[in-house]
Amino acid sequence: MSAQTPFRRALRSFLEQRTARVGLIIFSVLLLAAIGADVISSYDPTGVLIGVEPTAKRLAGPCINLFGCEGPQHVFGLDSNVRDVFSRVIHGARLSLQVGVLTVGFAIVIGTLIGAVAGFVGGWVDNLLMRLMDVLLAFPSLLLAIAIVTVIGPGLLNAQIAIGIVAIPIYARVMRASVLGLRDREFVSASRALGSSEAGILFRKILPNALTPIIVQGTLGIGGAILDVAALSFLGLGAQPPTPEWGSMIGGDRNLLFSSPHVVVFPGIAITLTVLAFNLIGDGLRDALDPRLQR
Amino acid sequence: MTTYVLRRLLVSLPVIFGILVAVFVITRVLPGDPCRALLGEKATEAACTAFNTRYGFDQPIFVQFIRYLGQVLSGDLGESIRFGIPVTQLLLERLPTTIELGLISLTIASVAGILLGISSATRRNSKRDVATMIFANLGVSIPVFVLGLIFAYFFAIVLKGTPIALPPAGRYTAGVIPDEIAVAWGLGGLGGPLRVLLDFISNMAIPNAILTLRPDLLIDALSHLILPSIALATIPMAVIARVTRSSLLDVLGTDYIRTARAKGLSAREVVSGHALRNALLPVVTVIGLSLGGLLSGAVLTETIFNFAGVGRTISEAITARDYVVVQGFTVVVSVGYVVVNLLVDISYAYLDPRVRMEG
Repeated sequence: MSAQTPFRRALRSFLEQRTARVGLIIFSVLLLAAIGADVISSYDPTGVLIGVEPTAKRLAGPCINLFGCEGPQHVFGLDSNVRDVFSRVIHGARLSLQVGVLTVGFAIVIGTLIGAVAGFVGGWVDNLLMRLMDVLLAFPSLLLAIAIVTVIGPGLLNAQIAIGIVAIPIYARVMRASVLGLRDREFVSASRALGSSEAGILFRKILPNALTPIIVQGTLGIGGAILDVAALSFLGLGAQPPTPEWGSMIGGDRNLLFSSPHVVVFPGIAITLTVLAFNLIGDGLRDALDPRLQR
Repeated sequence: MTTYVLRRLLVSLPVIFGILVAVFVITRVLPGDPCRALLGEKATEAACTAFNTRYGFDQPIFVQFIRYLGQVLSGDLGESIRFGIPVTQLLLERLPTTIELGLISLTIASVAGILLGISSATRRNSKRDVATMIFANLGVSIPVFVLGLIFAYFFAIVLKGTPIALPPAGRYTAGVIPDEIAVAWGLGGLGGPLRVLLDFISNMAIPNAILTLRPDLLIDALSHLILPSIALATIPMAVIARVTRSSLLDVLGTDYIRTARAKGLSAREVVSGHALRNALLPVVTVIGLSLGGLLSGAVLTETIFNFAGVGRTISEAITARDYVVVQGFTVVVSVGYVVVNLLVDISYAYLDPRVRMEG
């Protein structure tokens, strides 16, 4: 029996899914790239190679020694400012993972609090908070984020704040639903009978039990947040040059697509794979953790 | 049913009010000094005083809001700072493009998504099922702007000179100019709401080509619409395919389907006559929900393909600090989104009696 803790059961059920394993592998590669970016690529992601490397040419295509290209190796080629695209993509992985986790983390903390208070307190507080959430949800997400960035100004941090705000209602709703389901359960009544304070019940008893759906939603949300922040950067409202952010790399060089597709294709593949990894892991977690789906 | 519709309407009103408040707060209160934001950092004190008096910025914020509310309700969304024309007129020019692009994308996404989902679910774990699900997973992960750019590169550059080459940007080929429907019909002198309606339709390329009987225009407009609408349709198509598949799989496992099979119906009859009807209920919701994503995607698609639609207008207005346009367009698009969602909810209640009961 000892081998069958809920955690192990969920882990096994997660790893049994082929798609989840694929997601985990992509994620591991990304994580390694993000951690070892400085070791993997010897080029400075923001460093212009003019004068540093005599043969470096603006927008030069990929040059891989293994495939017979002589001269300095640029696996993904050079961009319009004569920077190594590979190095920028690898450093972009670090940035995008940070962006995804921080943005969703911000939305989860605020959304969870709002949802928990609304569900636990009920009454007019619940009504007011959830109508506020309805209003946030009533905007097409990118449009609201654009409007917020217009006001607080462009920049990577501001783009993250905007995307985070837009995502708050999702977590608030999920949390509220969980809390409503748990509020009147026996173990809650028991700890109330034992004299716990209301806040203690909410934070020590109900919140830990309501976290599973938030974790699943959060994992799926990281992919979406990375996409949205990249979209804002693409429009010039997020990360500013020369930051090696994938969306801004594509946005900055998109007019050069027809002559040098490599400046758009490689960061594009990087975003797609990253988002794919989080989506697959999120789907896997949902199937592994949702008791209704357990075989 | 009537009670349900009324109740949903009542719930939507505060949300619409909330949108107005939110947009007002975002655009008026937070930027600090609207005068400096609009006239630039170097605006003189006198110019700012005149500006503030003219637009009512010297009034208390509460009065400003009431005034703003009155303007919006009477259909006045202000005047674009960059173009010097009313925002409503700009909307009349730009909104039809987005509606057309969105409707075509939504149709592609729904039809293709549902067909893919059905073919996946009825041959579960087959190669086709696996391929469809790989496509669906990639489809929700690839950014619209990457897909759009790759499409443009592939169809305009790689396939250049072949019969299936497509233009990478723009609404029409340069030099192709559509007629106004009203003029083509000999109603050039017409005014009033009917003229507004005709002009609105005129700005949609395909209805315009059909109504003014110009096949050359139709072909040109279609060839420019294919790439952006497929790029925009990909994400919702992938989502719809996934939901159709899982919903149909659920339904195919129920007892009444077993009964239908037991009485000797063919697999096709079971799916089309019995299972599909129930399986499509969640799909209707997802189609409704994907509208928000479609509007967000339109901002990017229009930017890439150089369409003068709502999305590109907003993103350009931001760069130009034309905040009256940002405010007006955001309000109209968001309220439109709420109204469409309301219609989706009502149609859902119409299709599924259980929704009406629970309310």
